[in-house]
Amino acid sequence: MSAPAVATGRTLVVEALSAGYGDTQVLWDVTLRIDPGEIVALIGSNCAGKSTLLGAISGVVKTWSGSVCYGDQTLTGLEPDRIVRAGVLQVPQGRRLFGSLTVEENLRMGAYLRTDRDVEPDLERILGLLPRLRERYDYLAGRLSGGEQQQVAIARALMGRPQLLLIDEMSLGLAPVLVDSLIALLEQIHQTGVSILIVEQDVQTALEVSSRAYVLETGRITLSGPSAELLDDPQVKKAYLGV
Amino acid sequence: MTTASASAAMRKVSLAGIMGNRGALWAAVILMLLLLLVPVALPGYQTLFRTILMYVALAYGWNTIGGYTGYVSFGNVTFFGLGAYCSALLSAHGVNNLFADVALAVVVNAAFAALVGLPILRLKGHYFGIATLGVALAITDIVGNLDAFGGTGGLALKTVDEAHFSIYYYAAWLVTAGAIGATFLVARSKLGYAFVALRENEEAAAVLGIAPTRYKIVAWAISAAIAGAAGAVFAPANGFVDPSIAFAEDANVFPIVMTILGGIGTVAGPFIGAIILSGVNELLARWFIKVHTLFFGAVIVAVVLLLPRGLVWLFGLRGGARTWLKSLAAYKA
Repeated sequence: MSAPAVATGRTLVVEALSAGYGDTQVLWDVTLRIDPGEIVALIGSNCAGKSTLLGAISGVVKTWSGSVCYGDQTLTGLEPDRIVRAGVLQVPQGRRLFGSLTVEENLRMGAYLRTDRDVEPDLERILGLLPRLRERYDYLAGRLSGGEQQQVAIARALMGRPQLLLIDEMSLGLAPVLVDSLIALLEQIHQTGVSILIVEQDVQTALEVSSRAYVLETGRITLSGPSAELLDDPQVKKAYLGV
Repeated sequence: MTTASASAAMRKVSLAGIMGNRGALWAAVILMLLLLLVPVALPGYQTLFRTILMYVALAYGWNTIGGYTGYVSFGNVTFFGLGAYCSALLSAHGVNNLFADVALAVVVNAAFAALVGLPILRLKGHYFGIATLGVALAITDIVGNLDAFGGTGGLALKTVDEAHFSIYYYAAWLVTAGAIGATFLVARSKLGYAFVALRENEEAAAVLGIAPTRYKIVAWAISAAIAGAAGAVFAPANGFVDPSIAFAEDANVFPIVMTILGGIGTVAGPFIGAIILSGVNELLARWFIKVHTLFFGAVIVAVVLLLPRGLVWLFGLRGGARTWLKSLAAYKA
């Protein structure tokens, strides 16, 4: 994976993070970091706690202990809107579009907190990146195909001008050819200087596109390192790649 | 029109966005202006039309929380009732001024909604609906047991003499126009989009930085202020309030049915639904006094099956019954 032309943003450091729902603990002392301009993958099976971790970083899941810092800013305990303003945006699992709004309205919703004057140029730039969405501009988002919906979800997050993009299960339910085009899109986004954390069950894809990766199992980080090495790791091969 | 562009058009108009259809909106505005003539043109029907305007306002109140944010409240009559009692209490203290009545009702109800909303707007779906019903029942009982509110005996209000009675009609008209205007402004604003985002997907809204509880409280406070203002005008015009009048079941249920019939989450829908249902209800009540409420039940079932987005939806469809059936199938798919 080549480094981006301009690496903006700061380093995200998650330190000894524990979180859960009600009495059930899901994450146990999770520690990870994402440097500016990196694509990092978080892999693991169902119920490993991947989405909970993203939720904890985005502020939609309460953290029990530990910390999340972005540069010198502490994100732990902040409301999600403050975290969005800090430049950390999530593309949630299952796309979660505003189905009865048009593609255009969905994209504009991504810029909800922005007050600057660059929303229109950004919209143009993002439509340039995703020409299919220009064709579907006035369609209701709920009526698009799965691949198109995933594009809208990513584009909507981009409208928030992220420095760090957290993408949850991008490939879920999509045909391989669509996944390939989305990966190409991620690489383009990465080239603009955005750091990316991808959370995937499709381990092969995640490790191919990322430079580093973490393996999450039952709420704990069990393995981490350069993605190329993890691809060759016997444990990863056996557990996730079926070889 | 090619098949592709026809289907594209249908995808777009099938819901008509958060404003609703513009033709429907113009129809509502023109009808609303005509209603201004009632005291002069049809003085004998003033009370009837004032009641209709009250229902229109209540429907708009419900539309803000139930239509735009998708939080179905079964307790909006609480705000109508408290608004009515605001006027009654002011009157008991010698203040008989409609502006003061409405101002107090708006402030008290917005504040009360925010206070109650803080815990119960964290509930979702049916749980929220049941909680609102609980609030309505509790407030009805509390008011009925407080001497300051006249208990179950109620409170009388000083009304103007017969010759000036149309002042209540104009006040009701202004409150209703205010409710429509407020809905129009909200639907055009970022605030309106935040409400719709919460309705469509609360979790997605949250990760985009739209704080769900904060915006839901704002929506409910607006909803409560509108219902409260309607109550504040109703009480002095009626001359008397007690818990069974102020917290009447009709004032709770009818606005919901009216909004659903007209089109939830649209600017013109509540007006169109309220006008049609009030008119039909009035006629049925004259002819079939015992069973006319059955009609409302039938309307709910018919609308859910045949017009899931209400009458406003039909304004946007071109091409007759076939387009309607196609859109219906697409909507349900």
